[in-house]
Amino acid sequence: MENTHSSDANHLSIKQYLKIGVLLTIITIVELIASYVHLGALLVPILLGLSAVKFVIVVAYFMHLRFEHPLLSQIFAFAFVLALCILLALVALFIYDPSIANR
Amino acid sequence: MSEQAHSVTGIDSRKLLMWIFLASDCLFFGALISTYMIFKGNIPNPPYPTDRTVNGEFFHGLLNIPLTSASTFVLLMSSVAMVLAVYGAQNNNLKMMKGWLLSTIGLGIFFLLFQVYEFRHFLHEGLGLSTNQFGASFYLMTGFHGVHVGIGVIILISLLFGSFRRNSLGPDTGFHIETAGLYWHFVDIVWIVIFTLVYLMPY
Repeated sequence: MENTHSSDANHLSIKQYLKIGVLLTIITIVELIASYVHLGALLVPILLGLSAVKFVIVVAYFMHLRFEHPLLSQIFAFAFVLALCILLALVALFIYDPSIANR
Repeated sequence: MSEQAHSVTGIDSRKLLMWIFLASDCLFFGALISTYMIFKGNIPNPPYPTDRTVNGEFFHGLLNIPLTSASTFVLLMSSVAMVLAVYGAQNNNLKMMKGWLLSTIGLGIFFLLFQVYEFRHFLHEGLGLSTNQFGASFYLMTGFHGVHVGIGVIILISLLFGSFRRNSLGPDTGFHIETAGLYWHFVDIVWIVIFTLVYLMPY
């Protein structure tokens, strides 16, 4: 691995990519530990928060979206928000009337 | 990269197409994850995903969190390997690109083997596709993701074989590897969401 410099094409150096890999591993370990510790009502927001951080890191730095044309971010963000809305709407619907699941 | 490949936005049209495809895939996975989330609290008969007591009878949960954490780690590392393969391709370092591409393929196959093991274990425990809502939504969602990983592995193998036929990187090779990398990282972020919502999240 002789190339360790940053360039416009790469955006980040090898060392930076490896650091991100270590960070992602640490977050996954923290998630795993959190799921075994009794955190009560805090568990869900903590897990969602950590997952969101991992998601954003991979999209921004591995998929280079942070350095790309804003249109690409907008396309992806639009679809992601739409998918999130589908999830929230369906979960809300089934919380409102749980019997739907067994029909 | 040819001039004709650029759209009016200045973005390479092939890259734009890949992002639109990933955006549409986002909706597919959104629907599948939603279906699982809906049913996970309304499973009428065993087996259940996590430990549960129903009418005084205790049922062990099927989900194996330590095993899935290991497979999640494998997929995360495959993303790191992929980004280094892209780095190698963009820096005209054929040896580095091939090495990391091979690592990504190996890690991807390893992840698939984890999934095969999990599916076989679940089937052995009596969870079929039509056993209950958990089986139907779980197999569909994780199976759909597994198919994506499998397709990704095939794409990467074809790129690796292509690179063996030449001694230097062509003008478009870096771009092809980068586009394949986008797909691979997308598969990784989908698993990040599935791992949290399906395996770690309590009821």
